Amino acid sequence: MVRILFIVFLCLLAPGLVSMGYSLWQGPAAWSVDSGVFWGMPISLFVFWIGLAHAGTLISAIFLVLDVKMERRTSILAELATLCALVVAVIFPLMHLGVIQNFYMVAPYMESRGSMANVCSPLVWDFCCILAYGLLSVVYLVVHVLADKSAVAASIHRPLAWLLFPMVLWVHTIVSLDFAATFVPAWRGAFFPIYFIVGAVFSGLAMVNIMLCAEGYRMRQLEKLMLVGSWFLGAFLLWDFALKGNLSVTVLVFAVLLPQLMFVSAVRESTLGRVLISSSIIVGLLLERVFLVFPSGVMGFGWVDLGLICFGFGLFGVIFLVARLKLSRVIEGEEVLMGEVEETVPKRPATGRFSYFAPLTTPEFRMLRFPLLLGIIACTLFLVWVVGCLEENGIAFSDANLVPLTCPIITTVAGIVLCLRPLVMHIGKVGGAVMVALAALLGVLAGMVYGGVTSVPSGAVVSSTGDMLDVGTLPDSTSTLDSVAIIRTKAVFEARCAGCHGADGRLNEKFVREYYPVPQNLDVSRMDALGEDSLVNVILNGRTNMNPYAGRISPQMARGLVRYMRLLAETPAVDNAATQNEGGDE
Amino acid sequence: MGMDRREFIKWCSLLAVGSMLGGCRKLPFVGDAAKKDLPSLKMFEAEVRRAMSKPSHRMELVRVPMPGRLKTPGASLENRFGMAIDLDACDGCGKCILACIQENNIPLVTEDEAAKGRFMHWIEMRGGVPFMCAHCGNAPCERACPTGAANHTPDGLSAMMYKRCTGSRYCGANCPEHARKFNFNDAVQQGLSLKFNDKVPVRSKGVMEKCSLCLHRLQDDRLEVKTAGGVWRGRGVNTACAEACPKKAIVFGNWLDPDSPLVKVARRRDLYAPADLAGFDPSIVYMMGGK
Amino acid sequence: MTPLMSSLACVMALAQAFFLWRGKMHILKEGLLLFGFFCISCVFTLLVGSPDDPQIEHYPLRMLALCLCFSTTSLPRYRRRYLVMAQAFWLWVELFGGIALAYRGIEFAWARSLAIFLLCCCSTLLSRISKEMEFCLMVFWIAIWILF
Repeated sequence: MVRILFIVFLCLLAPGLVSMGYSLWQGPAAWSVDSGVFWGMPISLFVFWIGLAHAGTLISAIFLVLDVKMERRTSILAELATLCALVVAVIFPLMHLGVIQNFYMVAPYMESRGSMANVCSPLVWDFCCILAYGLLSVVYLVVHVLADKSAVAASIHRPLAWLLFPMVLWVHTIVSLDFAATFVPAWRGAFFPIYFIVGAVFSGLAMVNIMLCAEGYRMRQLEKLMLVGSWFLGAFLLWDFALKGNLSVTVLVFAVLLPQLMFVSAVRESTLGRVLISSSIIVGLLLERVFLVFPSGVMGFGWVDLGLICFGFGLFGVIFLVARLKLSRVIEGEEVLMGEVEETVPKRPATGRFSYFAPLTTPEFRMLRFPLLLGIIACTLFLVWVVGCLEENGIAFSDANLVPLTCPIITTVAGIVLCLRPLVMHIGKVGGAVMVALAALLGVLAGMVYGGVTSVPSGAVVSSTGDMLDVGTLPDSTSTLDSVAIIRTKAVFEARCAGCHGADGRLNEKFVREYYPVPQNLDVSRMDALGEDSLVNVILNGRTNMNPYAGRISPQMARGLVRYMRLLAETPAVDNAATQNEGGDE
Repeated sequence: MGMDRREFIKWCSLLAVGSMLGGCRKLPFVGDAAKKDLPSLKMFEAEVRRAMSKPSHRMELVRVPMPGRLKTPGASLENRFGMAIDLDACDGCGKCILACIQENNIPLVTEDEAAKGRFMHWIEMRGGVPFMCAHCGNAPCERACPTGAANHTPDGLSAMMYKRCTGSRYCGANCPEHARKFNFNDAVQQGLSLKFNDKVPVRSKGVMEKCSLCLHRLQDDRLEVKTAGGVWRGRGVNTACAEACPKKAIVFGNWLDPDSPLVKVARRRDLYAPADLAGFDPSIVYMMGGK
Repeated sequence: MTPLMSSLACVMALAQAFFLWRGKMHILKEGLLLFGFFCISCVFTLLVGSPDDPQIEHYPLRMLALCLCFSTTSLPRYRRRYLVMAQAFWLWVELFGGIALAYRGIEFAWARSLAIFLLCCCSTLLSRISKEMEFCLMVFWIAIWILF
């Protein structure tokens, strides 16, 4: 059975890979987008797969939190499906970029102007949230798998679920804000966050249901939730129609009307019936995402679009089956029901009686207190830093722009600390202190690399005698430039070049953050080695990150600039104190 | 069994590699395949005529007050550049479009896109009204850019850093009037681009572009004044489209400079902006009536 | 949305909350009830709200959230947990709906979101929830709904 499925998925994957290769080569022109429709199939597929990715962890974590009994095997399968769907989902926003190699610029780190302008963009929140979610999902799966054998893992299992629960919802909410926070008329909707979450959970339930059917299992609670989900999705679709007048009947049929057949017991009792209904739901939701993302109506699918759909399903199937086979020994281990496995965790009574915990005393909260505190501190520091950068650079923003970043930061830091805690307690106080010190050291090193080493700051140019460089009294070796020309060259240098190279010709400290490779440190010996002509060429024709100045600076001026740079290079660097004392006029 | 699985994995990987090798993504600076012939000026003119012949409806215009200082923190007190287009004088000849193409090295588009009416021109005729990016003071596109490539200068220009653009096209989706254009093709490689003007870079594949208010002209002027010393107000600079208009319907200038030709002309007229953009504080407005 | 209509919405939410979580809890029954209430809220919003006001987009969800908050006061067990979750849901709807609207130029209702957040956090500190405490919570919720 598994072999057949494997072959089916491989057959889906092969044309998918061809489409993917072609899309990567051709760029966004390959699939059905043009200057009016900017986002197409890749983004629809991204939203679809992210929705499916929520299913597994959501179901597993939420059921754990709400004390609904679910078999361990089911929940591990669900989490595995989450991770596989996440892997597939992440590929799409990467491949839809016009310039894929710049993808890292989406991260909210400072570019060379230090302005952090991009934190206001929902796509940046997306990036952070998905990164945090992926990390935590992997950790959760590992902990869940280990929870059977290791008491330590079992003790952090429930707290991790509590941590993951809001994160899962947050991610899909942010994905919905990608659309809701824009001006595209079809994407308006303050109800989008909940609408997307409902759609995601619904499709996820359908996917888990298919998996369960494939394994020969059945979970009636899940099917009932699916029905409720279909009602709510129908309500949202009709509400959307009432507000904007867009309705897709196909989606309504597949995702809302057909699932009502579950009331018919013939359909409900047969595995095939359940699989078909779940597939109908998945198809319906895929179409719903497609219709949502193409703002001016579907232009017709090209072969690349269909190929990308196949790619998604094929890759998911292949990865899932491979992982499933690898983990089969773990999953099919002792059938353990959740809620009665761990002895280290305080006794959870069986259903029927409930235990009362005073506020803030539940064991999970005790474990989460400290990591959450650290998370909140980290988040506050980050936000203060960002606000500082934005204000310093005159960028208009409001607090609404910054709120979405809070959860991923808090959850990631808290999750990491939560996992490290047992490790630290295991090692003991001394070992723990050593680890913290090491981590701090690593942090400082990373900060130094990231922040960049300061060069001599670009301030007034000071000569070896400590006086301001007086252009009128240059020695004869530079007599090829007369004093007027030097004044003008200095002015052009400071106008055009000092922004990157510094008024003193040294590296401008902000450069290290953004533009790799960094400009060469042009001292006298290096300039002599390179020769004047090659440097003039660099100015005129550009190089790596330096734009060509050919039409804007005459070749004579370029030559003058090179000689001026050599002049600056001959002037030794002086320390900060001296330049500050000079009055530092620029 | 072991042999089978290894073989299987080997064949799988070969299949994967083979499928994807179908088109490794070409890095923009790596070599060049056979460059096609350069297009001629006539082809650009023909394309402009084709663009103007496509039916388009006129935008809904609403009254707006005269643009003033930008409301962002750190905005310049002396300069806010913009344009005013006199709709009573404009007759829709399209010379501004051609001038813009030649000033900014705007490429042609492929036949598919031209057939759909999707061109790369930064200025478009919409119902006889020339429309370009309005350089909104509170631009929806800049808010959406995930890398900070779309941003605003203190002098009022909505600037675009091509090197920082990652091509997510979010800004383009977020402009209510679709003023932004995306480089779907490698124009140079496909023989769609002619470098009319050395001072302006040709954009690479995968980045967004739009009207830059002839930023390069402003920059050159600013640096000249900066080297000579003095406060720069942008006097004497004109955009390519304003220069080319035979009726002088497009007026470029500095909204904050009372001596600027822009302010002198706009003071006496009623100013309008597209209804979708009026709330975003556009720098480019239309003039109708009110003489 | 006039104050009279929003008070009416509040009363409707209260009335709807009466029917939830009673007797034997069955997913389909509760789901159907919630679905029904959501539809009623949508119809109410359409009838009462002005179509130009973007704030009506998430109004039915706000009503549903209020209804869920009211309904948690009658749960037999784990009340604090569900109370916090219901308020978190309300906060979610307000916060993210507000962010979406803020990007379209509509003022973000800070006071309301902050009030719900504070109430949510304070609710985590509640020990045995007595009848008086329930009543107090309901008053707070009604106050937030009407005043902010």
